[in-house]
Amino acid sequence: MPARLSAFTMIALTTLSTLLLAGCGGSGSDAKYLVIFCQANNAEPYRAAQNERFEELFGERDDVKLVIYDAAKNGTKQVEQIEQAIKQQPDLLIVAPLNNATPNKPMEKAQEAGIKVICLERNTTGKHYDTFIGCDNKAIGRMAGEFIVKALTEKHGEPKGKLIELKGSEIQAMNDRHDGAFEVLQPHIDAGKIEVVHTATANWAKTEARAKMTEAYNATEGDFDVIYAHNDPMAHGAYLVIKGKNEQAAKDAIIVGIDGLAEEGVKWVEAGDLDATFEYPLCVDKAVEIGMKMIEDPDFKPEATYILDSRPITGK
Amino acid sequence: MNKLLQVLAQRRDLTLTLIVLVALFITAVIISPGQRFPKEESLGFMTVTLPKGWPIFLTLENLTDILRTNAIIGVMALGMTLVILTAGIDLSVGSILLLASVVTGLVIRDTNAPWIAAVALGIFAGTVVGALNGALIAKLKVQPFIITLATMIGIRGLAKMFSNNKTVLLPNEEGTQGYAFIEIVASKWVTIGSFVVLAAVFALLLWGTVFGRYVRALGDNAKAADYAGLPTQRMLVAVYTLTGMLAGVAGVLSCALDENADSTQGVAAELDVIAVVVIGGTSLAGGRGSILGSVLGLLIIMILKNILGLNNIGSNEQQVIMAGVIILAVAAQMIQGSSLPAWLRIGPLKN
Repeated sequence: MPARLSAFTMIALTTLSTLLLAGCGGSGSDAKYLVIFCQANNAEPYRAAQNERFEELFGERDDVKLVIYDAAKNGTKQVEQIEQAIKQQPDLLIVAPLNNATPNKPMEKAQEAGIKVICLERNTTGKHYDTFIGCDNKAIGRMAGEFIVKALTEKHGEPKGKLIELKGSEIQAMNDRHDGAFEVLQPHIDAGKIEVVHTATANWAKTEARAKMTEAYNATEGDFDVIYAHNDPMAHGAYLVIKGKNEQAAKDAIIVGIDGLAEEGVKWVEAGDLDATFEYPLCVDKAVEIGMKMIEDPDFKPEATYILDSRPITGK
Repeated sequence: MNKLLQVLAQRRDLTLTLIVLVALFITAVIISPGQRFPKEESLGFMTVTLPKGWPIFLTLENLTDILRTNAIIGVMALGMTLVILTAGIDLSVGSILLLASVVTGLVIRDTNAPWIAAVALGIFAGTVVGALNGALIAKLKVQPFIITLATMIGIRGLAKMFSNNKTVLLPNEEGTQGYAFIEIVASKWVTIGSFVVLAAVFALLLWGTVFGRYVRALGDNAKAADYAGLPTQRMLVAVYTLTGMLAGVAGVLSCALDENADSTQGVAAELDVIAVVVIGGTSLAGGRGSILGSVLGLLIIMILKNILGLNNIGSNEQQVIMAGVIILAVAAQMIQGSSLPAWLRIGPLKN
């Protein structure tokens, strides 16, 4: 009966491995407060850094047990996970929405169940939360624009030069980072001083940015002053291409990225590869501060929104 | 020359692919933006000055640039050609690429091992996953689509577990193993050279060996191949193992070119790779296709992307145009001589 035997073995193995995995996850803890964080996608370095910071900050407190769910970029999964979280009646629910509409319903359900909800980093259209903690991509874009104008003025004596823009994929963050910078740059473009010589979409990815920057370099014959990339990996991809073609050009070019993660952008600025990056705050410290107040002080009323400031990181 | 024409006439599918390629190349030269300044270019043995107005597309610098950028997809397409010839598919190549990149990156960053060991381990990791794919497909007799879909998901997860979801930056100070690795592996001639050598080896493997003929036979009619006593199971394992190995090579190249391993590497690469193979005339039904075809497919995609980029066409428009050309290229292969009016027929008809 090999067929039956193997079917039995398969069932046994599946059950056993599921149990083992479940055992790894659920550790019996008698902490006073339960905090559940529904993360949109662990795989992005920015979000991995958020998780790490949450674990660090809540880990300092013995009275808090933190559980992190990962929706892995899947909207249905995020809805399920929030619903699962509600059933565990946490003292605080933190949601980093995958997009601005999908988690509306379950977040409303959580509030109806009397659970305190913090919406992190990406706002929702339903606004079913006690407070939103986030940052402003448009403001960051404006900071980048101002840096570019300043750097060009230092180089040419006036805000004048040729610019290449490497865009992210078409989501709100991309539009905001573009619009913010161009709010500052547009007057100089209209005055014929700053010229956008090439624009390409590299979808936030370094590999793609290298391909697009190679084309941009060849198309412009190396005649440009500024690279404005919507994130640091794309900015660094552009740097690698320019360096490969002409070491001096890589030193002369003004290369600007955004995000300022410790393991990426900050290191690249320190190495002198990028001229500047603008930190996109993790929002975690603020969320823990406000969250703990909400848990411990029943009279505390958080503000509707907290918008955190970005921080420029410059070098070269 | 006459012989060449005869060969081409027998393989009408490739003739038409070649025509598409040549037409695209000429179009690219015509619509390429021109140089604004005269520029010197070294051809190795001599230096020429290309005048003002010379098409940027048609410079050695640009052509080698795009070959280097696309070598990664090209290397994976060689393996995918074998897989598709057996009427299979391998969706896991992009994830294997990431795994190999992460393994290579971690060994270089966290150990003192020589960089060549990191390269070997990266390729080995890819080979192991390929062998796993092959063994599961051959032994469980499950469709390759399902097995490789599972490994596509699982291996990407595994790679991210290894990297702890972080970007693995290579040390690049002079004198370090990371520096040597980047300087050598990411250099234009090593990247392009790897692809050219591997393409030649795999073309020979498919065209000149018993293994190659068996692969075609297997894809043409798996049952018949089995009845004829071909070692079909072992061949499947071999084909997927080779594909995993090539995806490993692609991962090592990605790690060197990006100077890091990051989770965006290899995302949706399987689709680019399959597109290249299919444009190159390899039938998804198996049994029909060649390495040369896939190389032509790669050149078509590469030139198309480049000319759109050089002309600064918007990314949405690029996608629409790409789709059109892919359909055109595949349609070209579908046209059978008999369905064409006599005056349009190229070469002799079959039968």
